[in-house]
Amino acid sequence: MRYDVVVIGAGHAGCEAAWAAAELGCRVGLCTISKDTVALMPCNPAIGGTAKGHLVREIDALGGLMGRAIDATAIQFKLLNRSRGPAVWSPRAQADKRRYGVWMREALSSHPQISWLIGRAARMVIAGGRVTGVTFEDGQTVECGALVITTGTFLNGLIHVGDECTPAGRVNEPPTRQLADSLHELGLQMGRLKTGTPPRLDRGTIDFSVFQEERGDEPIVPFSFESGRLVRDQISCHLLHTTEAVHDQVRAGISRSPLYNGQITGIGPRYCPSLEDKVMRFPDKERHQIFLEPEGSDVPEIYVNGLSMSLPRDLQESIVHALPGLGAARVLRHAYAVEYDFVQPTELAATLETKVLGGLYLAGQINGTSGYEEAAAQGIMAGMNAACGVHGRSPLILRRDQAYIGILIDDLVTRGCLEPYRMFTSRAEHRLLLRIDNADLRLTPVGRTVGMVNARRWARFEARCSRLERNRKAVESTRVRVGGETTMADQALSRPLVTCEDLMEQGLALEVDADRGDVDLATLTAELKYRGYLKRHGAQLARAQADEARPIPANFSYAAIPGLSRELAQRFTEIRPATLGQAARVPGATPAAVAVLGSRLNRGAARAT
Amino acid sequence: MFNTSDTIVAIATPPGRGGIGVVRLSGRDSPEIARRLTRRSAPLVARHATFAHVHDLDAPAETGRPVDQVVVTWFARPHSYTAEDVVELSAHGSPVLLARILGLAVRAGARLAEPGEFTLRAYLNGRIDLVQAEAVCDLVAAVTPLQARAAMDQLEGTLTGLIGEVDGALFDLCARLEASLDFPDEGFHFIAPAAATAALAAVIARLRTLSTAGHAGRLIREGSLVVIAGAPNAGKSSLFNALVGSARAIVADVPGTTRDLLTETVDLGGLPVTIVDTAGLRDSADRIEVEGVRRAREAQSVAALTLLVIDGSVPLDATDRALIDQNPAGPRLLVLTKADLPRGCRDQELSSLAGALSVSAVTGEGLDGLRQQIVLALTGRDEWRDPPALSNARHVRLVEEALAVVEHAAGLLDRGATEELVLAELAAARRALEAVTGTRGADDMLNHIFTRFCVGK
Repeated sequence: MRYDVVVIGAGHAGCEAAWAAAELGCRVGLCTISKDTVALMPCNPAIGGTAKGHLVREIDALGGLMGRAIDATAIQFKLLNRSRGPAVWSPRAQADKRRYGVWMREALSSHPQISWLIGRAARMVIAGGRVTGVTFEDGQTVECGALVITTGTFLNGLIHVGDECTPAGRVNEPPTRQLADSLHELGLQMGRLKTGTPPRLDRGTIDFSVFQEERGDEPIVPFSFESGRLVRDQISCHLLHTTEAVHDQVRAGISRSPLYNGQITGIGPRYCPSLEDKVMRFPDKERHQIFLEPEGSDVPEIYVNGLSMSLPRDLQESIVHALPGLGAARVLRHAYAVEYDFVQPTELAATLETKVLGGLYLAGQINGTSGYEEAAAQGIMAGMNAACGVHGRSPLILRRDQAYIGILIDDLVTRGCLEPYRMFTSRAEHRLLLRIDNADLRLTPVGRTVGMVNARRWARFEARCSRLERNRKAVESTRVRVGGETTMADQALSRPLVTCEDLMEQGLALEVDADRGDVDLATLTAELKYRGYLKRHGAQLARAQADEARPIPANFSYAAIPGLSRELAQRFTEIRPATLGQAARVPGATPAAVAVLGSRLNRGAARAT
Repeated sequence: MFNTSDTIVAIATPPGRGGIGVVRLSGRDSPEIARRLTRRSAPLVARHATFAHVHDLDAPAETGRPVDQVVVTWFARPHSYTAEDVVELSAHGSPVLLARILGLAVRAGARLAEPGEFTLRAYLNGRIDLVQAEAVCDLVAAVTPLQARAAMDQLEGTLTGLIGEVDGALFDLCARLEASLDFPDEGFHFIAPAAATAALAAVIARLRTLSTAGHAGRLIREGSLVVIAGAPNAGKSSLFNALVGSARAIVADVPGTTRDLLTETVDLGGLPVTIVDTAGLRDSADRIEVEGVRRAREAQSVAALTLLVIDGSVPLDATDRALIDQNPAGPRLLVLTKADLPRGCRDQELSSLAGALSVSAVTGEGLDGLRQQIVLALTGRDEWRDPPALSNARHVRLVEEALAVVEHAAGLLDRGATEELVLAELAAARRALEAVTGTRGADDMLNHIFTRFCVGK
């Protein structure tokens, strides 16, 4: 059997990769161990959050699936940072895990270009310096033009619960050893990371009356630009706090924690500390937040957000029972930590293709990231680039001033991973430009050009652009009264506390989509609120962008450049930055070194012309 | 751009004769070139002063007379000024000898260094930052001891340290504001609004101090212009000669003797002050004198300070009065000359001469007081014991840019702007500060947050 693109793994990265490659006209084989675990959420039942919500909007604007899937199946929606400016508004939703997976499986199954390959991939087939196929553990081989590996935590996965160690990619799922060996044999630099998940409790055994209720937002702000107005019954989450009694138990049992007794060597994420870390590293903090989040609208599992740990089972139960309202709670699944192999993403080009083996793309947690959204963002890019590679088209690389996806991939391939990588808005040096409201303005034309955006979505986008143009004219030509003085609407809106809604009450006529006015108003608001900053610092932005536009030839020799330390020349040679801007972000690159490199590039360019 | 992979050589001591003169080599081949010049068979020992003879490369080993006796010191990389292999040959300080040694080094494979190239290499090799590299140039060019100390402080990293402290405070504030954006669910403030306002005020205060120091520092680094002006024959040229300490100007009791501008730079309380003697201000038919008067007025218009000189031995005449009543374009000191003669002005005129300093170029009376008043008028202080931290125009401009941006950010915060906009401004301020030193400040904001706060669910 032969496919244009084979994708190994149908998690969040694999689903987007398969969809993107198929949308670009490739015949796609999507390989999974079981169709029951498609788009599984093995950890928290939520999509989005700060910066992650931005990633989902961007995936959607390009024509990906995640935004539509969560809008169709979520059971609670929030817009985070609503009290702040539009650049940091970020949607988050509580997912119905099962329905989300089913939606995704059906979307993929309905695509005529996608075929399911059920089984465990074992080895890559390599010929002429390129990957040409995959052999499965049952001995079957399929050929492919490009291979996308998205195996998450499955490479040599090892689960820890107290002193129990079980080889597994996820709980009750055996790890992937042969494929890990196959990657090791390529000589890829690999490392080991750790992550964890909290216990799941039985909803019927919890006394919810003692908790603070956390409700969803009304009206709902959807993820997808495709979604119209969403109206649905939303479930609540509940907030409680740890107590000193709980902290005492952790301290007393700390020697039984694999995190603290040397059993775990992988590096865990600092932004998602285990209960052990919270208690031991921050002894002065009297209490820590815990959120109880349902895993679906009609399943018993309650996810105990904030209580990830690797303590033994008996101690976990004792800790849960010491919490208010959870005295009789039944533990359906214990918390665990998982260690897994990852490939240092500095082994990848910005297309997510490995530098050592043509046609091999990696996406998701295998590249050292954490999070469903980060995985999906890499998946869509790897899928598109695998398809472009197969078709001999030029690859698609998003810039840092263009998308969080661009920042994500640039950080990975330039700096590598020392801990699981999560997206934050603080990673974006052009944060005011990268907003959820303008993800479509930034990326839908890109998706259209590459072939991911259909005619219906494009027509809707064009209508939205014309509304924006007319609204821009309206605020420049309408007088309003603010704070006792008369001024133009655009001037008024550039002040911090003035909103479009305020001025519309005074008769400012703005066109808004009947179902999705949120996007229309947010873009206008952001453009005016940030106008002063962009005017003042536009020159600096332009300079930074100019460095990004200065390419470094792929065969450029760093060894011969005087004034570059040998270590840095070595690192440049390994990373092979594509532009001067990327070179400046290579760890250890000093401004002096970048100046030397820049002048050398100038000289090369002068010689070439 | 220079090539930086070869070995460079230069005479490191100033031109002219001296007790010793130093030829300095930097680059990979320095020890080998020194070994060939001194015909040593054994390699040099790092950080040891070795007595040796320099020989002509072509002279036969037995008969050839040595060029000079030298002390050779090898500073092995990276523990040298440039972080490369550096060899210093201390020879006798004759320009002819030194030029000959230089020529031999070039024949042995070294290249003549471009001006500033040793320092450039030190900067490119990460040995010193941009501030320190600029300090080296200042140190070499220093005229007054205070200038030299200002440059030395900068070389030792005083300014880098101060900028680093301000940047550190900004970094901490930014990290806390960032945390409140990236972790809105934590249920606590990473920084209360009042604390953010206070932190910004503290940063503004430090930047203002630096910027004020920068104004005085530029005077110290770049010097300032003091123009002596007044009616003809008021004693301007005598005062000029007295202040510069030599009979630089022709002095005669013929009005209109001085026609062109005469300048001389002196050290006044640590400041390099360029004093300008000008033609007496009067209407004249003499075309040359008219041109002299035009130049005198032009010099006044660009001067940091004008000394308006009045003859104290005669009553004020109409020209004097007109000059006194004229609205001065800049700061001005009134100087009454010829204090060794009986005072000539009438009592009722004293009010218009309030604050005037009496001096005598003949006896030296009042000259020290005048020097002090000049320094005070230029800098607002009568003496500079410690050099100001900031003295380079580029640094002053960048610090002022950072200050303006931080002030704007504080204003935004005040008017209720949210964190992301304030942070965008503060990032611009940090870029300006980093441009001073040419190094990158701390950028692991997330690490800063995670070590201080327990965040994440």
